[in-house]
Amino acid sequence: MTHAIECRDLVVRYRQKNGQFVEAVKGLTFSVEPGEVVGFLGPNGAGKSSTLKALMGFVEPLAGECSVFGLAAGSVEAKQRVGYLPEVALYYPFLTPFETLSLYGELQGLRGPTLKKEVSSLLDLIGLGHVMHKQNRTFSKGMLQRVGIAQSLLGSPDLLILDEVTSGLDPVGRKELRNLLKERQTAGATLFFSSHELAEVEMLCNRMLLIHKGQLIEERRIDALMEELRQYTLTYSGNASMVGLTDHLEAIRPGVVRAAFENKERLLEAVARVQAGSGTILDLVAREGSLEDYFVDTIARAA
Amino acid sequence: MNIKPLFLTTVSSSALVIGGWMVGDLGGTIAPPGSPPGLDAHETHGSTSLLGQFRTSFSSWLWVRTDLYLHHGVEMRGLTEQELTRGKTGVGSSDNQDNALHDDDAHVAVIPSAEHDFRGIFGDLERATSSWKDMRGHDHADPISALPLFRLMTWADPQFIPGWTTASNVIARDRSNEALEKALRLLREGLTHNPNSIALHQEIGQLLAARRRDFARAIEHLEAARRLAVERRELDEDDLDALRDVYRWLGMLYRDTGREEARKAVLAEGVQVFPDDAVIARLLNPPKPVAISREEFEAKARPADTTDDHDHDHDHGHDHDHDHDHDHDHNHDHDHGHTHGDQHHDH
Amino acid sequence: MKFGVWKALARGVVLESVRRKDLWVVAILGFLIMAGAGMLGFFGLKGLETFAKDLAASVLGMFSTVMAVLVGSRVMPEEIKNRTLYPLLARPITRFDLLFGKFIGATWVTWIAFLLLAGLTSLALAMFQVPFEAVMGQYLIAKMLGLSVIVAVSMTLSVFMTASAAATMSFVLAFGSSMIIRALVMAYESSSPAFQVVFKFLNAILPQYGLFDLGSRAANGWGPVQAWVLGALAAYALVYSSAMLSIGWLKFRKQAI
Repeated sequence: MTHAIECRDLVVRYRQKNGQFVEAVKGLTFSVEPGEVVGFLGPNGAGKSSTLKALMGFVEPLAGECSVFGLAAGSVEAKQRVGYLPEVALYYPFLTPFETLSLYGELQGLRGPTLKKEVSSLLDLIGLGHVMHKQNRTFSKGMLQRVGIAQSLLGSPDLLILDEVTSGLDPVGRKELRNLLKERQTAGATLFFSSHELAEVEMLCNRMLLIHKGQLIEERRIDALMEELRQYTLTYSGNASMVGLTDHLEAIRPGVVRAAFENKERLLEAVARVQAGSGTILDLVAREGSLEDYFVDTIARAA
Repeated sequence: MNIKPLFLTTVSSSALVIGGWMVGDLGGTIAPPGSPPGLDAHETHGSTSLLGQFRTSFSSWLWVRTDLYLHHGVEMRGLTEQELTRGKTGVGSSDNQDNALHDDDAHVAVIPSAEHDFRGIFGDLERATSSWKDMRGHDHADPISALPLFRLMTWADPQFIPGWTTASNVIARDRSNEALEKALRLLREGLTHNPNSIALHQEIGQLLAARRRDFARAIEHLEAARRLAVERRELDEDDLDALRDVYRWLGMLYRDTGREEARKAVLAEGVQVFPDDAVIARLLNPPKPVAISREEFEAKARPADTTDDHDHDHDHGHDHDHDHDHDHDHNHDHDHGHTHGDQHHDH
Repeated sequence: MKFGVWKALARGVVLESVRRKDLWVVAILGFLIMAGAGMLGFFGLKGLETFAKDLAASVLGMFSTVMAVLVGSRVMPEEIKNRTLYPLLARPITRFDLLFGKFIGATWVTWIAFLLLAGLTSLALAMFQVPFEAVMGQYLIAKMLGLSVIVAVSMTLSVFMTASAAATMSFVLAFGSSMIIRALVMAYESSSPAFQVVFKFLNAILPQYGLFDLGSRAANGWGPVQAWVLGALAAYALVYSSAMLSIGWLKFRKQAI
């Protein structure tokens, strides 16, 4: 099956102002399947934007190759199927959102009433319908980000490549965006986005890629990872030794013990042992793991 | 090894060397000719204020443009030293430069003719798109058409002497009394703005003498010009040109009014200031008279079709355009490079 | 051919430029021209027709050149600086489409400014009964062709250097190339054969902006030029602009943005 995105041994190199070269991406290999929602994570300077730019053809890879639906990344044919949101873009300050989207729509190949209809409905969808004839320069950062999101959705692309998608959006905007992107996914679109907002990644993604210093250091399915990160706490009356192996054990008061488990199987085993040892289970709590802690720990390990 | 700095250094050094070489090669050829005539009349006064500078620059620019219009828009340039050395000559003009503001014998068209242009189609196109024609023996537009421009020059910068003098000369070419009065009025207006102008006094004196025969008033102005020249420590090229004429005219006027002592004094002074001027020297020491009557001489000397000035009583009654009196043919000797007022000086 | 794409890009440039009030400069300059015409009227225009036409052609030529250089040298660097380039290039268009569309837009802006000013100037001249002659129409056409070449050169330079450096370089070329070429013409006959080759080379590569200026003919009462002249100018503008844009594209097509 053709991958929605495929990068093999991608190397992106930039020339700095002092004339020296720096490799932003070093031999990156990954793929994204059609219909997937993949978060592209990494600290600042990890090479996320460079990878996305290579996917759009904005930079020429020094080595390796990328393709989109089997088409050379950056080619006109590939871009026909891609919507892209840049990390920071000002959009033409003296044009209105309607004119801005109309311009991009025309470049996309849309014309006449179809173009007008699509632009209007997208601006309504993104919450800018009431200001579509005001100039962009009068807008806040969040509103400009909405203009950007709307333009990326023009022409109902099969693949959305979004760089820092939630940047500048307020909580309401984020929720609206989440819903919008989920709708697109439901409609069959593939989403590939970078973000610093790990909660968004968790809520939206099927899978995440973590890169650091231009290299892929982790690739996980989100549901499996969250399961892995989930922590369980068992409070029971009885003695400390009756639960067997545990990650953390604490005597709350005489005869009452709290045991923590990072693994569901070990928890179930402990519950069985408490019950078998005539102890009483007082409380059982499952706490979601911190993606942020995982992110920080993983980066620290890779450093 | 980073070769970029080395490469850049090499390229820039080579560029400098080649550039220097080319400048050396071009230097003699494209050395700009001296300032356009009439522009250095008062380069200094305008520096007193920005507005003054602007006015002076505007008038100077108008002067150059007027010269261009008189050449029907065909851009001209002075021959360079190198070209003169090579024996290249200017295009000359069919109307003896009566209507030019510069010496056409030392000027050529900026855009050369096809046989002297290496540019091929580009040269052809430039000749087709610009005001261009073969300027050899060219004519000029009627300078009367430029009168409003001279007026504009003097309005913009009343200290722009060439504007006053040239305009008055152009007006005075019409030989009517009205034109003469108009020319004198203009010069007097100029004089109110420039009471210390040697050239304006000289022009007024010359017109009064040659056209109105008012020798007394003419001498007043010419003497005023002479006095100003003596008082002034430094004279520019235009002042010197005017002063040269002052001595000549005073010499003739004193001679013709019988003031021998004054004649000798002024011409002796003139010879000191202009030791190489043959006209002044000749006026100071005139050749012995020929042994024929004046009527006989004039009958021989004058072409049959000459109609003007037959009835001149005095040698100094020479006119701007048509005088061929032997006493004044000296004026052909001087001032080919003279700037303003050539229209009458040279004849 | 992607006329729709080029047209959309060009329209964007024009719309931005109009909204940014770039063309207000035209209005200010137009006012100055009218004021200047009023001053000439004070002296009476009789005898000053040539001067008035010459002045009009000079002001028009200078202003439109400045406009062409500024618009041409700014259009691409501003896209990069403001990062508006990304959403554009994310569309299914090539970098050549972008460069060419922007070139058309910048040329339109320059032409609009030039024609507006030319209209105002013609009005001022008409007030003094200076008729609009055929050669003046040819002047406008030739000037517009020349302006498109200036825009192409400025845009190409801006791909290689910063906007301000490109503008400076382009100004030097716009106001200096004619002078350089005339110097070469003067020096040619007395130069060594080696230098004559260099001069020929320089003459071939330097933009011949001077050819597009029929102002002197219009001012000094020369008649209209023959049709082949305008045809040759159009061909030269086409070839030179295409060459410039191709050079710019060769650099831009692989440029990291």
